[in-house]
Amino acid sequence: MGLSLLSPLALGIAALVALPILAHMARQTPRERRAFGAMLLLERVVKRLRRRRRIKDPWLLALRVLALLLLALAVAAPVLSYRDQTPEFGGSGRVVLVIDRSASMSMADRGSTLFARARADAVAVANSLPEGTLLGAVVFDGEAIRLTPALTPDASSVATRIGDLSVSGGTSNLRAALVEARGLLGGEPGEILLFSDEAGPRIVTDAHSELERIVQGGSAVIPRTVAPEMRRNVAVVSAAYGSGIEGGTVVIRLANFGPEPREVPCEVTLPDGARVPVFVDLPPEGEAEERITVPPEALGGVGRVHCEDPDLPLDDDRYFHLPRVGASRILVVDGDPGDTPLRSEVYFFERALAPWGTAQTGFRPDVTTPGGLSTLDTETYRVVVLANVGDPRPIGPRLTEFVRKGGSLVIAAGDNVTAERYNAAFASILPSALRRSQALADVAEEGVPLALPDTRHEMFAPFARSGRAGFSRVRSHRVMTLEPYAESDDVRTLIRYEGGVPALVERTVGTGHVVFWTSTLDLGWTNLPLQAVFMPFVQRMVTVLGGDTSGGSARIDAIVGETVAVPLPDLAAEPDILGPGGDPVRSRLDGSRVVFEPETAGAYQVVLPGAPPLAWVAVNTDPIESDVRAYHTVEEAETELDPELFRAELELGSGLLGGSAVLILLQSLLMLRRRPT
Amino acid sequence: MGWDPAVLARIRHLHLRARVLTESLMMGEHRSRRVGQAVEFADYQEYQPGADLRHLDWKVLARSDRLVIKRFVTETQLPCTVVVDLSGDMDTGTTGRGGYPDLDTSKAGYALTLAATLLFFLHRHGEPVGLELLAGQGAAYTSLPPRTGKNHLQQCFAALATARPGGRANLGQTLLAVGGRTRRRSWVGLITDGMEEPSEWLPAMSAFARRKTDVRLFHLFDRGEWTLDFKDAALFYSPEGGEDLAVDPGGAREAFAEVVDDYVSEVRSGIVRFGGRYVPVGTDVPLEDAIRRAILDGVAEGTWA
Repeated sequence: MGLSLLSPLALGIAALVALPILAHMARQTPRERRAFGAMLLLERVVKRLRRRRRIKDPWLLALRVLALLLLALAVAAPVLSYRDQTPEFGGSGRVVLVIDRSASMSMADRGSTLFARARADAVAVANSLPEGTLLGAVVFDGEAIRLTPALTPDASSVATRIGDLSVSGGTSNLRAALVEARGLLGGEPGEILLFSDEAGPRIVTDAHSELERIVQGGSAVIPRTVAPEMRRNVAVVSAAYGSGIEGGTVVIRLANFGPEPREVPCEVTLPDGARVPVFVDLPPEGEAEERITVPPEALGGVGRVHCEDPDLPLDDDRYFHLPRVGASRILVVDGDPGDTPLRSEVYFFERALAPWGTAQTGFRPDVTTPGGLSTLDTETYRVVVLANVGDPRPIGPRLTEFVRKGGSLVIAAGDNVTAERYNAAFASILPSALRRSQALADVAEEGVPLALPDTRHEMFAPFARSGRAGFSRVRSHRVMTLEPYAESDDVRTLIRYEGGVPALVERTVGTGHVVFWTSTLDLGWTNLPLQAVFMPFVQRMVTVLGGDTSGGSARIDAIVGETVAVPLPDLAAEPDILGPGGDPVRSRLDGSRVVFEPETAGAYQVVLPGAPPLAWVAVNTDPIESDVRAYHTVEEAETELDPELFRAELELGSGLLGGSAVLILLQSLLMLRRRPT
Repeated sequence: MGWDPAVLARIRHLHLRARVLTESLMMGEHRSRRVGQAVEFADYQEYQPGADLRHLDWKVLARSDRLVIKRFVTETQLPCTVVVDLSGDMDTGTTGRGGYPDLDTSKAGYALTLAATLLFFLHRHGEPVGLELLAGQGAAYTSLPPRTGKNHLQQCFAALATARPGGRANLGQTLLAVGGRTRRRSWVGLITDGMEEPSEWLPAMSAFARRKTDVRLFHLFDRGEWTLDFKDAALFYSPEGGEDLAVDPGGAREAFAEVVDDYVSEVRSGIVRFGGRYVPVGTDVPLEDAIRRAILDGVAEGTWA
C-alpha cells in the first residue's frame, strides 16, 4: 500500500493547525461579579469539573487539530495505491479455469475438502461469467489435462466437466497446468483463474518461468486460493528397512507441517500382517524418527506405516519394501543322509547353524534331499547348500536361475561328488570346472592344515581380533581340485591349505554367489566340524551370503501418478500388474519393460500366473505434497514480475474533505456543551 | 448604651414577629428526661431486686399481690441557647423571605428572625434563654448565657437587632468555645449555613456531646443558591473573601447538585454521629412551618424532657 500527493505544497495549510490550539487555550472570562454564599460547594464543583475536563479537553483539541490536518491533506489530493485482488476476470472475454487436484487438495477443512471447495468455486465462476465469454478449463496434478480442447462459449458444459472431477494423489505441477492454459488462450490476452491451495515450497517457484511468459503476454493468473483454516499436517515422509540377515529395523520418519506439537499414534504393518503400534512425538514444524524392530522372521513384500492424522489422509500411509527377514530358511540338500542322523552329511552343519533351535540364532536350516528342490522358492530361501550331492543335474537350471536372481549356492565336496556331473549342471556359475578328488595326506595322518585366512575379507572379518589361528587347526586329507583359474573380481580364493591348494573359492554371479568348499561338511575328508571355528565360520558364511539379498523379486519405489517401468527378464508371457486391492491395473509392454501409472498409493505386484512376484512396487504420494504450508504465492510472484498488476488507486481528497467537515461539526457540538466553568 | 431609633424599630419588628409566630404555635409541656424523685406520677415498673422499697406501691401489693414500683417525672427548667452564625456567607440569598415581604432576603435575615422567635417561644415557656453570635459585626452583645426575665430577653433581641453579618465564623473554634460554655443537659439551637469545610467544624460538636447537650442544627440554605438557579455565567465570589470563580451555571448545575447532595449527607451524618438532630431549613419555607418543624415536631417526638 502506498500514498502519494498530487499537490504536496498544500500541506502548508497544516500550519493552520496552530489556530485551534490558540483558540483552545483562550479562556472566556465573564464580566459580572456575583456574591455567593455557597462558595464552598462551588469550589468543590470546580474541582470536580476540572478533573473531567482533563479528559474532555484533549479530545476537543485533537478533533480540531485532526480536522485541520485532514483539510490540508484533502487539498494536497492524496492518492492511495493498494493491492487489489484482480483485474476483474471476464473483462477480456477469455478465461481459463485451472483446478488443482493434487494430493494436498484432499485436505479436510470445515467439513469438506479443499478440492471440493475449489471445485464448487470453479463451477460457480463458470456459471457466472458474462454471456459470450470464451471459457476453457485445465485440471492438473503431476500432469495437466485440458478439459476442453479449445475455448468455448458453452460455460455450462465446462462447469459440468469440472463438477465431475475428483482429487488424485498426484504431485502438483503448476507449470504444466499453466502451459496448457496458455495454450488454450492461443497467444491472446486473457485471465487464468487458479483454484489451488498453493501449498508447498516448489509449486510456485517451479512455475515461475511460465508465469513470466503469461504476464509478459498481457494475461494474468488470478489466484482463487483455497486455504484451510489452519495449515497443518502430519505425514510419514519416509519408511525404510535396515537390512540384516538376523532381522533389522524399519526406520520411519514423520514430519509435522503445523505450528503446534503433535503426538501421533502410528501402526506399522508388515507384509505377513503383523502390526506394531508406536506413538510419535513431533515438534512444531519439525520431524521425528522412530525405529521399529522387525521380528527375527518376517515375510518379504511391501509393508505399510499408517499414522492417525485427520488433516490430509492421503499421506498418512507410507509403503516400504521389506525383504525376507531371517536367514532361517536355508535350504540344505543332504546328499548322504546316512542311516542315522548322526551319520548324516549335514549333521554338524545343521547343528552349527541352529545348535539350540531357531530362536537363539535366527537360522532355520531346512534339510531336504535333492528331490525336494523341485519346490525351491527364491523368495523364501536365500542360501542353498549342496552337501555331497551326487547328481545335481536335475536341479542345475533351477539353482542357476536362483543364483542369477541373487541367491547364494554353497557346494561342499564329498565322495558322491563327481566333476563331470557338476560341471554339466553348473557350468555357467562355478568358479572353475571341477577336476577330481585328490588325497592330500594319508587317512591315518593328521592332514594338511588350512592357511590363515585374510581377515580383510568380509567373511573372515569377525576373526580378526581372535579366532583366526583356529583355522590352522583345520586339517584335511582329501579335497576336490579345480581346473586352474585366474583370480578376478568375480572369482576369488577365500582360503587355501598350506601348500596353496584352494579350500574355499567364491564366484560372484550378478548379485548372487557360488561358494565351493573343496572338502566335506562332515568328518569324511576333514576335521573341520570338530574345530572351534566351525560354528562361527559356518554362521558367518551364511550371514554374508544371505545378508544383502532380497530374494528374486525386484523392488521398486514409485510416486502416485508417475510412470513406473519394471524391467522384465526374457519372458514369453506378459505379466499382470496387481494393485493394492489385488485387482489388475492397466499396463503395457514397452520393449523389455512393463509400464503402468499407479493412481493410488499402495503395494503393487508384477506377477506371472503360478510364479512368485517378479517385482514389488511400493507406491506413495510425493512427500512434497504433505507440506501444506504456504510459501511463495502466485500473487507475490506476479507482483514481482509486474508490480502494477494487482494494484488499484483511490483518490482520497473528497473523503478527507468530508471527514474534516464532520470533525469540525463534532468539535462545534462539543463546544456547545462545554461552557466556561 | 444609647438606642438608635432604627435599631429600636428592628427590635420591635423582631419582637412582634417572634410574638406573632409564637402565639400561632401550639404550646405543649416539656418534661425532664430524669426519672426519680418527682412530683408527678409517670408509670409503674415491675419490682427488680435492689430497687428502693420506698417507691413500692403497697396498695397494688395488697390488692393484687404484685410487687410494682411507682415512677415519677420531674418538672425542671431547661437552659436553652440559640447560636446564630452571622458570617459573611450568611449575607447572601436570592428570593427567600420566609413568608414576610419586609424580611431581608438574605440567609442572615431569616436566621435572625428564626433566632428571635425561638428565644421568645422558649422564654414564654419559662425556660432560661441565652444567645451566642458567631462572627458578624455591630452586635450589642455576642454572648448572653441562659437566664430568665424580660430584661434578659430584651438584651437578646437587642443583640439580634444590632448584629450585621460579616467576617468568617471559624465554626470549628467558635463552636468549641460555645460548647465549653453551655450547661450540662441543656438545649442548643445552632442556626448556620455551615459553609466551612465540615471536616473542620463537625468535630467541634463533640464539645456539646460531652455535656449531653441536646443540639439541633438548623441548616439554613437558600434554594436559589443550592440549585445554582442563575442564568448567565458570572464571576462568583464569597463575601468572606477568597478568589473569584468564573462559572457557567448551566454547565455546572448537574455537578453542583451532586456536590450539594454529598455535602448534606456529610453534615447530616456528622451531626447525628454526635447525637444531634439535623433540621434543614430553606429560606423560601414560611417561618411558621420551619419553626413548627424545628420545635414542635421535636416535642411531639418526646425528644425534649
